[in-house]
Amino acid sequence: MPRLSDTWRYWFLVLPALAIMIIFYIWPLVGIWQISVTEPALGLDNYTRMFESSAVTTSFVITFRIAFLTTIGCLILGYSVAYVISNFARRVKPLMVALVLLPFWVSVLIRSFSWIVLLGRSGIVNDTLRGAGIIDAPLKLMHNEFGVILAMIHVMLPFAVLPIMANMRGISPAYVDAARGLGASELTAFRKVYFPQTLPGVMSGALLVFVLSLGFYITPALLGGGRVLMISEYITYQIQEFLNWGLGSALSVALLVLTALVILVAARFVNLRSALLERN
Amino acid sequence: MTDFQDTTDHEVKADMAEIAAHKYREGRLTRRGFLSAMAALGILPALGSKAMAQANEIVVVNWGGRASEVLQEVMADTYTKETGIPVTVDGSGPSGGKIRAMVESGAVVWDVCDSGMGTALILTEQGVIQPINYDIVDKSKVLDQAAYSHGVGNYVYSYVMASNPKLLGGNAPQSWEDVWNTKDFPGMRTFRKSVRGMLESATMAQGIPAEEVYDVLNTEDGLKAGIDKFRQLRENIIVWGSGSASQNLFLQEEVAIGNIWSTRAHLLRDQMEDGSFEVSFKGGVIAPGVWVVPNNNPAGSDEAMKFIAHAQDPELQVQWLEMIGSGPANPQAAELVPAELQKYNPSSPENLAQQIFYNDEWYAKNQVRAEEMYVDALIN
Repeated sequence: MPRLSDTWRYWFLVLPALAIMIIFYIWPLVGIWQISVTEPALGLDNYTRMFESSAVTTSFVITFRIAFLTTIGCLILGYSVAYVISNFARRVKPLMVALVLLPFWVSVLIRSFSWIVLLGRSGIVNDTLRGAGIIDAPLKLMHNEFGVILAMIHVMLPFAVLPIMANMRGISPAYVDAARGLGASELTAFRKVYFPQTLPGVMSGALLVFVLSLGFYITPALLGGGRVLMISEYITYQIQEFLNWGLGSALSVALLVLTALVILVAARFVNLRSALLERN
Repeated sequence: MTDFQDTTDHEVKADMAEIAAHKYREGRLTRRGFLSAMAALGILPALGSKAMAQANEIVVVNWGGRASEVLQEVMADTYTKETGIPVTVDGSGPSGGKIRAMVESGAVVWDVCDSGMGTALILTEQGVIQPINYDIVDKSKVLDQAAYSHGVGNYVYSYVMASNPKLLGGNAPQSWEDVWNTKDFPGMRTFRKSVRGMLESATMAQGIPAEEVYDVLNTEDGLKAGIDKFRQLRENIIVWGSGSASQNLFLQEEVAIGNIWSTRAHLLRDQMEDGSFEVSFKGGVIAPGVWVVPNNNPAGSDEAMKFIAHAQDPELQVQWLEMIGSGPANPQAAELVPAELQKYNPSSPENLAQQIFYNDEWYAKNQVRAEEMYVDALIN
């Protein structure tokens, strides 16, 4: 019996997954591209309309601003957490890792609703602060960018912590010890020896959080009060409210292209293969 | 098939179904979920099963959920009791596209459909619905503005000014100008995530008399001025996307003032503490739902018209108001409305006098552009 070459055998293994991707993902995606240039009329009208509309441009600016601020927030918090877990936590390490992972098991929808309970005008935070006499009038904690970014940082945090932690795990403590032994202060040793080694982890965490944030929908829709209109909500708006499939599709193509651009630009600075595919 | 601009606000109809579901808490969500999924997929009801509705049965179609059951109970069963003719309520959502598809395919299974003015105008133009026979249907039992050639009002709902005086130091805004006055009425406001019913209030807030609103909005400057009002107020705006969202914003005291559906105000009346909820129909925008009858309906034209005439009964319409908050389309129903509900009835003479009628023609012409300007004003 002739044996299939190894390459073919591997292809057979990925074939079912590949078929599902092509039929249920790539094919509809092509459909979306097609709609964007055929509805309501053949041509690039949707795209010219998109660039002319200041509502659309603003929505893109908001989307990138929020994704950027979320990424910064996640990196600062995520780095500290990963640093502590990797270098100091001994006995509580499994617990801390579990706490980082825990949010993954709770739906984003539920987490966003919890933020509403916390941040509302008569929510837990405002009531506590008022009860303690710290404030007179309730603070505006949600239905604005602040609330959206806060909740998004919460949702995205594990995506920053995990790659940074994986990266830190591969760093031998010997380097910092050596630097200290040669007379570097603790801060200098961290800054010049430890931190540069963690940059690949930081970069892959940043990329992951940023790209996921660009397409985020639920949290901004629930906590934004309609004025923090990120592009995915705008797409929903076009399609559900106005049945404007043409413009909605054009917007999603634009989001896809911009996201691809972000990844391309990032590829100049980060080794994508090691950042996203190889975990040590 | 549906390549026309349909201005009818089907969301409010679906919302009524939702309200009813909430109010009675009897579940039925799976059925409704199923029905709306069917509607969303554009699947027509199985044509084979009921294709030939018996001539002695009438099929009335609305938007599903408990609202279908209320319609069944209040209008359909009473008709059967009176005439012996069985009436079935089908909640599969008679959108314009479906009615047209049904008529054009020649397999009409619906007799009477709960539609909207915008849809009725389009369907009339396409020649797929029948003229209302005003020899059988009583024109005096429906608001003048809701008696059209091919559609007749079945109930009404309004966009109204709601407020929470508790959050406003005991004050309640008396006009849309007050709503835009953040100095004397501090706090957040809620408006719909669409210009429908909202631009009118922004126009009145400029001091323009209610009856001139659409004339002004028909001018470029008028439209821009209305949009600009939202730009000025936007730091104080939270938008509502669904009827339940608007209700929640009041319940959680997130907003002090809002422009919301009267059907939701009707619910909030029960849910909010005394003194923390006020509704004013002053400067409200009232919109009628209408019955339409597809061409070649199975039960025959006269039978459909007789059912519509039956549904004009003022007492039944008041029951409808009590159950789902939709206002009677029959002006004679107003005096039968229980005193405590009078204030919440969109079509009571007092409330009617203070409102304007929703102008479908204006929306057919301007909505798409206005929506984009609105979004821009809110975020840019």
